[in-house]
Amino acid sequence: MATANLKEIKRRIKSVESTMQITKAMELVASSKLRRAKEKAERAEPFFNLLYEMMCRIVAESGDFQSTFMQQHTSGATLLIVIAGDRGLAGGFNANVFRQAQIRLDELQAAGREAVVIAIGRKAVEFFQRRSVRLLAEFENIGEDITVYKAMDIADRIVALYQKGDIRAVELIFTSYVSPLVQEAHHMHVMPVEHLEHAPAGYHALTTYEPSPEAVFDALIPKYLTGILFCSVIESFAAEQAARRLAMENATDNATEMISDLSLVYNRARQSAITQEITEIVSGANAQS
Amino acid sequence: MTAFPLKIVTPEKVFFDGPAERVVLRTSEGDMCILARHEKFVADLPSGPVRITVDGEDRYAALSSGVVQVGKDSTTILAYAIEWAEEIDLAWAKRSQQQAIDRKNKAKSDTELRRAELKLQRALNRIHVSSMHK
Repeated sequence: MATANLKEIKRRIKSVESTMQITKAMELVASSKLRRAKEKAERAEPFFNLLYEMMCRIVAESGDFQSTFMQQHTSGATLLIVIAGDRGLAGGFNANVFRQAQIRLDELQAAGREAVVIAIGRKAVEFFQRRSVRLLAEFENIGEDITVYKAMDIADRIVALYQKGDIRAVELIFTSYVSPLVQEAHHMHVMPVEHLEHAPAGYHALTTYEPSPEAVFDALIPKYLTGILFCSVIESFAAEQAARRLAMENATDNATEMISDLSLVYNRARQSAITQEITEIVSGANAQS
Repeated sequence: MTAFPLKIVTPEKVFFDGPAERVVLRTSEGDMCILARHEKFVADLPSGPVRITVDGEDRYAALSSGVVQVGKDSTTILAYAIEWAEEIDLAWAKRSQQQAIDRKNKAKSDTELRRAELKLQRALNRIHVSSMHK
């Protein structure tokens, strides 16, 4: 009985140890991927900020022009772009994104508006395939090495649908990387472009737009959307790695704790087995003499 | 010649940040030249060559799709990609030209065709700019 128990504990220690090796390895992989993703996100930031600034300026300086990308439309579906991870085991990372998405989908449904989804990341694709949601497009395994051209492909498709009137609004759900410990799922309105911060009133500089403000603005839109997609995919990827690193760190810590608890139990059991054996021998010897 | 601050930024890096005396660009409406104290200006840029003059010396670069903004005291070019002529990998550019031609021939939809054409433009632009560098 005692030896069987000892073996059992030994086996459990072994199994926890091997799990710990895996979580430790995953933690290291996640932290090196996180570093790279963060660098990429930082490099992309100036581009996007300048692009956004330029959009704001055009809108502010030529307040009277009309673009289809700024008007509120009354028909068409609302497009939700949902960016999640390709893998699980990242704490609440994917679940948080899906919760946001589900809230928005319910809201849209309650308002009687049709919703379509573009899913980015394998987990997102799986999530929406299980639900009765119209998936417009799905992209898997693009998070780690997304290029600006890939983002452009997606953006061009969206812009084409928008111009055709199939969709009236574009919204984005992604995760922002706040710090190594904090990642937040966000919901953002992308199109129609309306939330641009306007320059101070009376700010009217004479700027020449070739060929016209409208044309430049409309040409900027796909680039703007490309920038948003590119940056949010990179940022979500960084957030995913940070979430995974943290989850794996916790798992490794738990495993260490379990091993030390189990070792204690194992040593106690071993000791009591030895004590018992000695008692048996001694009492046997006493009985003989 | 008077220099003005020029900034060229791509999603991957800040490509150029410093004073330049002259920039020649190809916009969707035609070639244009920017000198110091140019009027405020914004234009869309398809793939095309860029000539930047710094300290009286011309440098060429291949730009792939972007936008230029001339502000009161600074000029900004945003591009999907841009390379100096001497940095262009000609073999790679020729390979991607061939790829683009193949894709163009096999294109089944308008989008595919348009994408292949854009890719071809980028490749041809790189090959062209690469030849400007002696």
